[in-house]
Amino acid sequence: MATQDVRLPDIGEGVTEGELIKWLVKEGDQVSADQPIAEVMTDKATVEVPTPYAGTVKQFKYSEGDMIPIETVMLVLDASGSASASKEKKEEKKAEAPKQESKPAPSSHSAPAPARSGGGGMDVYPPASDIHVLATPATRRLAREMNIDINQIQGSGLAGRVTREDVMGSNGGGKSAPAATAAMPPRMAFKGVGGDLEERVSMRGIRKKIAENMQMSKHVIPHFTLMEEARADELMKLRTQAKAAAEKYGVKVTYMPFIMKALIATCREFPMFNASIDDQSQEIVYKKYFNLGFAADTPNGLMVPVIKNADQKTLLEVSKDINDLAAKARDGKLALDEMKGATITVTNIGSVGGLYATPIINHPEVAIFGMYKLQERPIFVGDQVRKAHFMNFTITCDHRLIDGAVAANFMKAFVARIENPSQLMLDMI
Amino acid sequence: MTKNFDVCVIGAGPGGYVAAIRSAQLGLKTVIIERENLGGVCLNVGCIPSKAMITAAHFLHRLEHQASDMGIEISGKPKLNMKKLVSWKQSVCDKMSGGVAQLLKGNQVEIISGEAEFKDAKTLSVVGKNVNDLIQAKHFIIATGSRPIEIPGFKIDEKEVLSSTGALALDEVPKKLVVIGGGYIGLEISSYLQKLGSEVTILEAMPALLQGVADAECVQVVARKLKKSGVQVHLGAKAKSYKASGKTYEVTYELNGKSEKIKADKILLTVGRKPNSDQMGLRKIGLKIDDKGFIETNAQRKTNLSHIFAIGDIAGQPMLAHKASHEGVMVAEIISGQNRAYDAKTVPAVIFVDPEIASAGWMEEEAKAHGHKELKIGKFPFGANGRAVSMMESEGFVKMIADAETHVLLGVHIVGPEASNLISEAALAIEMGARLEDLALTIHPHPTLGETMMEAAEATLGHAIHVIQRPLSGARKSPAGSSASASRVH
Repeated sequence: MATQDVRLPDIGEGVTEGELIKWLVKEGDQVSADQPIAEVMTDKATVEVPTPYAGTVKQFKYSEGDMIPIETVMLVLDASGSASASKEKKEEKKAEAPKQESKPAPSSHSAPAPARSGGGGMDVYPPASDIHVLATPATRRLAREMNIDINQIQGSGLAGRVTREDVMGSNGGGKSAPAATAAMPPRMAFKGVGGDLEERVSMRGIRKKIAENMQMSKHVIPHFTLMEEARADELMKLRTQAKAAAEKYGVKVTYMPFIMKALIATCREFPMFNASIDDQSQEIVYKKYFNLGFAADTPNGLMVPVIKNADQKTLLEVSKDINDLAAKARDGKLALDEMKGATITVTNIGSVGGLYATPIINHPEVAIFGMYKLQERPIFVGDQVRKAHFMNFTITCDHRLIDGAVAANFMKAFVARIENPSQLMLDMI
Repeated sequence: MTKNFDVCVIGAGPGGYVAAIRSAQLGLKTVIIERENLGGVCLNVGCIPSKAMITAAHFLHRLEHQASDMGIEISGKPKLNMKKLVSWKQSVCDKMSGGVAQLLKGNQVEIISGEAEFKDAKTLSVVGKNVNDLIQAKHFIIATGSRPIEIPGFKIDEKEVLSSTGALALDEVPKKLVVIGGGYIGLEISSYLQKLGSEVTILEAMPALLQGVADAECVQVVARKLKKSGVQVHLGAKAKSYKASGKTYEVTYELNGKSEKIKADKILLTVGRKPNSDQMGLRKIGLKIDDKGFIETNAQRKTNLSHIFAIGDIAGQPMLAHKASHEGVMVAEIISGQNRAYDAKTVPAVIFVDPEIASAGWMEEEAKAHGHKELKIGKFPFGANGRAVSMMESEGFVKMIADAETHVLLGVHIVGPEASNLISEAALAIEMGARLEDLALTIHPHPTLGETMMEAAEATLGHAIHVIQRPLSGARKSPAGSSASASRVH
């Protein structure tokens, strides 16, 4: 074939489109198979998209900043060598037609319109289930009919079995996001003074995604924040010992894993904190698993890596996960999967500064937990003034599900575990 | 006359006729084109007639060798009327083929008999006895199957050198039969003709029968029985040529670098099959065909021409009727707009030798190649199964392969009575992602051959009831490598 369509591949669970940040090649460039051709931003991560074929870049189908639905043709290659039949020349002509249009409209692609199933190309979407995927034939078919790539679903069953419920609950249908964005407030223009006094930078990539997510969360969730302090002397002792003990494994132990473990134990008492609201079906979904997100500040902006099944991991394992994921976040190397599926999030803005904050919940979670700087403070013991260590905490809740008194009781139970780590030990699995 | 359809199916074998029926069920205007008989190779000169012959041969064999042990006395030797057997076999085929015709008609599928050829990618010409039509269709399904391969020195004429088709039509049992190719077709025909009275010699070029096709331990059981029954098997033997001498033939073959000769009344050539992709102008319209002759398709069996699909033997291995039918249903549904893709975990395979071999899932090496490092492998013998013994068919075993860590079933290999009927449970188990415990904990009715599946699962877990295995508690340790252990961990 003289020309070869390069499609935006399926780049992650539940991802239906990506924003083209940058072309990494120019028209006329020679590319080899597997060479990265574009940077595409999806839900919180930027990925480099490789071309599966070699050839000469003939035509871009999208401009930087455009949204590209997955499985659509993003560029056309001239595959050198085997040009022969006249039919292919016709295809070339067809492919050139939409070039004249300034903005690529989805209907103007050379590929027959809905490339997702029964379309023109040889690609099948979703791709056929891998031989290793443990799912019954009926479940495999259900996933296909829901347009979900079953290979991307993490099975909840024994040995990773993908159940019918896993498929039903996965967000791969690609229909959920637009409903929320549709209700967004209008986009207001900002007329500045212009000139050298201002600089305009386009809002794109991760910044844009953060903006959308935050706006959506504030729009959907009625937030409130409860603040509390806890004496941390005992926790300090425990952490100092644990830190020394963990050194021989080469793992740095911070306060965060202790906070996470106390949080999980407290959530077991108060399951409404590890939950989601299914607005569509008007149901509360209580989760029996704990995937802990933690906010990480990176050069690119806020990232929230996720520690999967944190309740089943030891303090040492959680510490190691935190270190590894934070390093990956800093280097921009987090896989999409490593930022998915959090059930509750911890933010440690206190490590930078600030006495308290009122964080925004990471929708569809219903709570975000804040931890702040460890401080020395004088306290009275009888009439004596003594030195003591305190840490501040906040719990920010979705008031649709969690009432103020419940949050206060939750915080009380949490603080008890921090002030008396032996109680936390009793919760350990 | 030009006719227009939604779907045009070419080839009415087990892939094509199934695709046509499902297309029609889904409300598509459907035509099916066949140049020979409805039902294709399978119903007319393959699966079905060979099973009729095998059943009869086995019946005769039991009368001759087993009846007297059961106290059934027959005065004289049972006599075979080969002509009558062949006509009964034909009646079976006719009945099945007639059934296909009825089903197609009942579903309003138009049937055209004739030879098809693509004029261009959207137009098919069909020429037959009373037919000269041009067919235009929105979608084509190519299901034209495969045919036997020939080798240098042997040209199939169905008189001197037979393919499976000619062998099934013999109305006289050849006294001496030389079979070139010890694959499953060659072995099936060898074993029934031997039972009907032929003196059979098999020349197999590979170092083992059914190499890479069936589990080696299973093949051993069959090879042993073939030998006992008097079939000569020459492994590593390459057939070179033959010449007529009077009414018989002399086949020359090479074995261990030496040229050997053997006499034959008939020569059967079963060295494999090749797809019929060199016909119908398939290359002319630009269909991509790979170097083995299979039409290239994606997981939806769609070709590089998006309105043309290919299913069955012509679309790739394994060349098995049931795979073709599965694809036929799938493709019809895709054409009707449903999202489907081929994602079956296993295509079970059955070989009607004596005793039967059947398998689903992976062999040991395949499981390892797919990343299962630690395997649990267990066997249960039919000799310990009440029904098998009471049928006087107690040779063979059920062998299971599972992942040692998860116990997920990866492969089942059966050699023994009714292996062909037992394997479906294994196929279901593998598709469902069953673990050994799922099979072991399902109550199987007694007394049946099916119990061997449950027991084999137990044996693989290390504690079958009806064979002696090491104690569960570990209190009494059996010596390492004890032959009493029916399961082993790899």
